[in-house]
Amino acid sequence: MTDNRRPARIHRFRPSMITPTDDAIPDYMNLMGMMFSMCSLMLKIKWCAWIAVFAALVGFANSRTSDDAKQVLSSFMLSISAVVVTYMQNPAPMTIPFLQ
Amino acid sequence: MWTAAKKIKDDDFSEFDDFDEDEFVVEVPSSSGANQLPIKTQSKKSDVVYNDGSSQSSMSHTTEQILSDDVTIDEDEDDDLMFDEEEFETSDSFPSSSSYVSSISDLKITEVPTNLTGNHWEAYHCEAVMVLVLLGYLINFLVGRSKNARLASIIYRSQRDLLDRNFALVGDNGQTRSIQSTDDQMNNDLTTNNMHKESESLYILWCSGRTSIENMLIEIRFIKRQCLFNSLAAMIKSINDTIIYTIDYSKDDMETFVFCLAKKRCAAKLHRDMNDLSQFCSERKNAEKRGLSGNYQILNEIGEVSSTIIDNRVADFIEKFPDALEYIHISDQYTGMKVQNDTQQPSPNTPNPTNSPPTTGTAAQQQDALNTSERSVRRVLIIAFNLVARNDRSLQVTTESIGSDYLRFVLHLIERVSSFRFTSKESKTKAIKNRQRIEEQFLKNVYQQRQEQAQQRREEKRRAEKEKIMQSDDPERQRKWEEKEHKREMKRRQPKMKQMKVKAM
Repeated sequence: MTDNRRPARIHRFRPSMITPTDDAIPDYMNLMGMMFSMCSLMLKIKWCAWIAVFAALVGFANSRTSDDAKQVLSSFMLSISAVVVTYMQNPAPMTIPFLQ
Repeated sequence: MWTAAKKIKDDDFSEFDDFDEDEFVVEVPSSSGANQLPIKTQSKKSDVVYNDGSSQSSMSHTTEQILSDDVTIDEDEDDDLMFDEEEFETSDSFPSSSSYVSSISDLKITEVPTNLTGNHWEAYHCEAVMVLVLLGYLINFLVGRSKNARLASIIYRSQRDLLDRNFALVGDNGQTRSIQSTDDQMNNDLTTNNMHKESESLYILWCSGRTSIENMLIEIRFIKRQCLFNSLAAMIKSINDTIIYTIDYSKDDMETFVFCLAKKRCAAKLHRDMNDLSQFCSERKNAEKRGLSGNYQILNEIGEVSSTIIDNRVADFIEKFPDALEYIHISDQYTGMKVQNDTQQPSPNTPNPTNSPPTTGTAAQQQDALNTSERSVRRVLIIAFNLVARNDRSLQVTTESIGSDYLRFVLHLIERVSSFRFTSKESKTKAIKNRQRIEEQFLKNVYQQRQEQAQQRREEKRRAEKEKIMQSDDPERQRKWEEKEHKREMKRRQPKMKQMKVKAM
């Protein structure tokens, strides 16, 4: 068997070679998380804060390795602080408006 | 409410006075010190409320009601005095009547916050549900991520030896400065011992350094098992894990043709979305004529290609692994998908000043793209396989057994494509003609776009000038500018008129 290897023909990897797919989920989730956090902080709505935590978690799960970890972390921090602040302002249990 | 009740009492229920005292005597000894005041107010209340005719059960609830109600009880002092002297004579623990009255008048029942009432944690059932859902998602994330990682390492291990024997460089993340030095060996270990993780569901492996090709990129696109919603959607839509081999040829190593063999479900999609397939291949033919099952379709530019590419080896492979092969796409004019093509310039083999990543499209890059009069095309062979569990085995076991079979098929196709040359002259001329046609269309588009941009720039300049002149508030300058504009308009119109005159003559 002839050796087909040619060290002279080596080309380095470029990230642009990866087939691009239109995957906007992490960006949408980040945006959603921030929006719902602000909503819950301003309007004191508890379920908004919980959805923000959820959105941050989904965004983290779908993120790429090349993405900045700081953005995901800041999204998490914002949503958790929204939950904490909303409960401190009003410790009553959460009520979902359209179910009760 | 008190006064109304009292009025009724005075008139109608005086016969119940004696009964009241007995009630009171029974209750007082059982009262604790802490409950003194509330019970006293209860007794006041009971004198009146009882005479209302309301049920006696309300009396037993009043102690709790007083604690939980937000109502402040206003006492009427006059009548209370009478009852005080009668009923509190004998007891020593009670304070004197005057101080008692003042304390009663000062008494205000404050609101107790709702979260200090009973049923502390049972009331938070919505929160409990949310926390459980979050935990469930997190557990699914960890489980899905580890499953994907395990599958990736299985595929890598099954193909590693064959890759090492065929490529000088296996595994490169593009970040280490040198591949050969031993210092970087430790850095490269992460990539050479396993595939490079792009995300939790995308693993890649870069191979280079072989005859007849420039490089090969192996992408394993898993179902997003780490995200609960995606994995549920995948179950509903029946999406599979896929391995995609993308091989780049250099200019001399490949003949000029466009060809695609694909499963029916994605043949239509590829024909619609891929630039080169829609430009060069006019129709989709069924693959039954070539001896393959009716499940596959062929998109072909040059007739003789399909008989060369679809040889016995391909037919045997499809027979052995019926669902494995998703599509084979061979093209020397590969430019990516249609939708992204406005902003995407895939890295070309021809020299291009802007070698930017395809997914970011800015106006500047589009401008640069217009400046180059050459289309950036790649010469590629793309083979996509499905990873499905076969013969009732698990996915992991199947992957272990078929990993090297897929790679051998890919290597065979690589050789086949690189060694193929047109046998007839007509094929070559047809290919050249097609490419010239597409090139002309492209140049025309570029020219049109450049003209539009130049026109826009001219108009903007004129608008800016006009604003400047208008703002200067100098009627002289405005007049002069308007004259200039008028002359320019006449000049633009005149040549057309001249042409018409010549024609008439």
